[in-house]
Amino acid sequence: MKMKSFRYIFPQTFKSMLANGWMTFAAVMTITISLFLCTLFWLLVINVDANATALEEDVRISAYIKEDTQDYSYDRLYYDILAIEGVEAVEYISREDGLKNIAGRFGNTDLLAAMGGVNPLPDCYSITAESKDHVASIAKKLESFTEIDDIRYGEETVDRLFALTDTLRIGGLILMLLMALAAVVLISMSIRLTVMARKKEIMVMKWTGATNAFIRWPFILEGLFLGLMGAVLALGLALVCYHYALGYIAQYVSFLVVLPLSAVWQTTVLFALGAGLLLGMLGSFFPLARFLDV
Amino acid sequence: MLIQTVDLCKTYKNGLEALHNINLSIEPGEFVFLTGESGAGKSTLIKLLFREQQPTSGFIMISGKNINRLGRKDVVRLRRNTGVVFQDFRLMENSNVFDNVAFALKAVERPWEEIKTRVPEVLEWVGLAGREKENVMHLSGGEQQRVAVARAIINDPLILFADEPTGDLDPNTSAELMKLFEQINAAGTTVVMATHDQDIVEKMQKRVITLRKGRLVNDAIGGFSL
Repeated sequence: MKMKSFRYIFPQTFKSMLANGWMTFAAVMTITISLFLCTLFWLLVINVDANATALEEDVRISAYIKEDTQDYSYDRLYYDILAIEGVEAVEYISREDGLKNIAGRFGNTDLLAAMGGVNPLPDCYSITAESKDHVASIAKKLESFTEIDDIRYGEETVDRLFALTDTLRIGGLILMLLMALAAVVLISMSIRLTVMARKKEIMVMKWTGATNAFIRWPFILEGLFLGLMGAVLALGLALVCYHYALGYIAQYVSFLVVLPLSAVWQTTVLFALGAGLLLGMLGSFFPLARFLDV
Repeated sequence: MLIQTVDLCKTYKNGLEALHNINLSIEPGEFVFLTGESGAGKSTLIKLLFREQQPTSGFIMISGKNINRLGRKDVVRLRRNTGVVFQDFRLMENSNVFDNVAFALKAVERPWEEIKTRVPEVLEWVGLAGREKENVMHLSGGEQQRVAVARAIINDPLILFADEPTGDLDPNTSAELMKLFEQINAAGTTVVMATHDQDIVEKMQKRVITLRKGRLVNDAIGGFSL
């Protein structure tokens, strides 16, 4: 097909979009809502992934000390832990300091009062391994210490987070597919209206010897524009929501790793625009098939 | 030989046999009427000839090529060498005369400069000079059919197929339109026209192929039979 033909094709595309105004609006809104939800899921998944990866890299182990441990045992325990192969540093965190740390992370300065004056935390040693490869062996060794009640380290949480990521991915994928299907159906319906309105024109084009590409392009462009408009709106909404969520998370749950807007916008733009264009193209494909059987 | 049909049969999905063993040939430059009662198979034959439909069996040769075995590109090429006119004109109602005719050139991606000069030429040829900007719905039936003819011939087709082009027109308008078809034929285009208008066929004294219940029953110069 000749490039010059787009001079005819472009106006046709916009004319039919305007002529079916309400259908165009409905299709764009469906794509916007679908892609908005899909983009939010996308942002959620990449952030949970980032948290899991950050934890995987974490070389710290928390060893919680039993309530009934005598004071004189603390020093011996400290040196025993330090003697474990692969341990780089050991830091004692009293239950009071532990509570202060948590309060700091959640942005609540008076957590003790909020908990009714009872501090549920035990004393703890925060152990730093020389590398993440030593974490599992140190944790195993710590289990044999009778003074230690519980051990927490990244791997457990990582496993849980990855399980959550998988669930989110599967749930998100199902949701995305359903939304995509709804969007494709709406785009198809919108373009079908255009095709029906221009049925006579399409037949005349066929009889006069127009190529399939020439007949098809105005409809493909219509689908692409519908997809693009929906994607741009969804993207704007999702990024604004993300911006506000970032502020909220920084204030109230600062221990979470949240990727800044500057780190996510490029992939998110690619994701949303790519999805919008793909949905638009799929939506324009089906209504034409029947008319192009030369 | 420009057109040849060989053992052409067409049976629709509902079991209706529209055409049965049609064998005919048409030479370049001929003017041929297809006549017969309603349901005789005239329109089906026209549709098969411009490859709107495919036969159930048999085949059609145009310019030495079996049009039923053409690839997409060749179908496009075939259609650029044929024009079609219908009883109901099939014009774009919301467009003016110029756009309706220019549409056929745009569809085959001719340059705009050519479209600007060619459309007025053809409109003059069909007797609609200066009417470019008029909406087609404001024209009379005869004038609308002239627009349809202009659209069909603007690509200089080798063959012009017409399916009951005068079916919706009064006798005087029909006679004028037939003069136009004669002129087109005189300029070298082969014309194949389906009609059951007895007056037209008898006046023109051209070759008449008569179909009855899907079978070819007569092929002669002049005269009219159903």
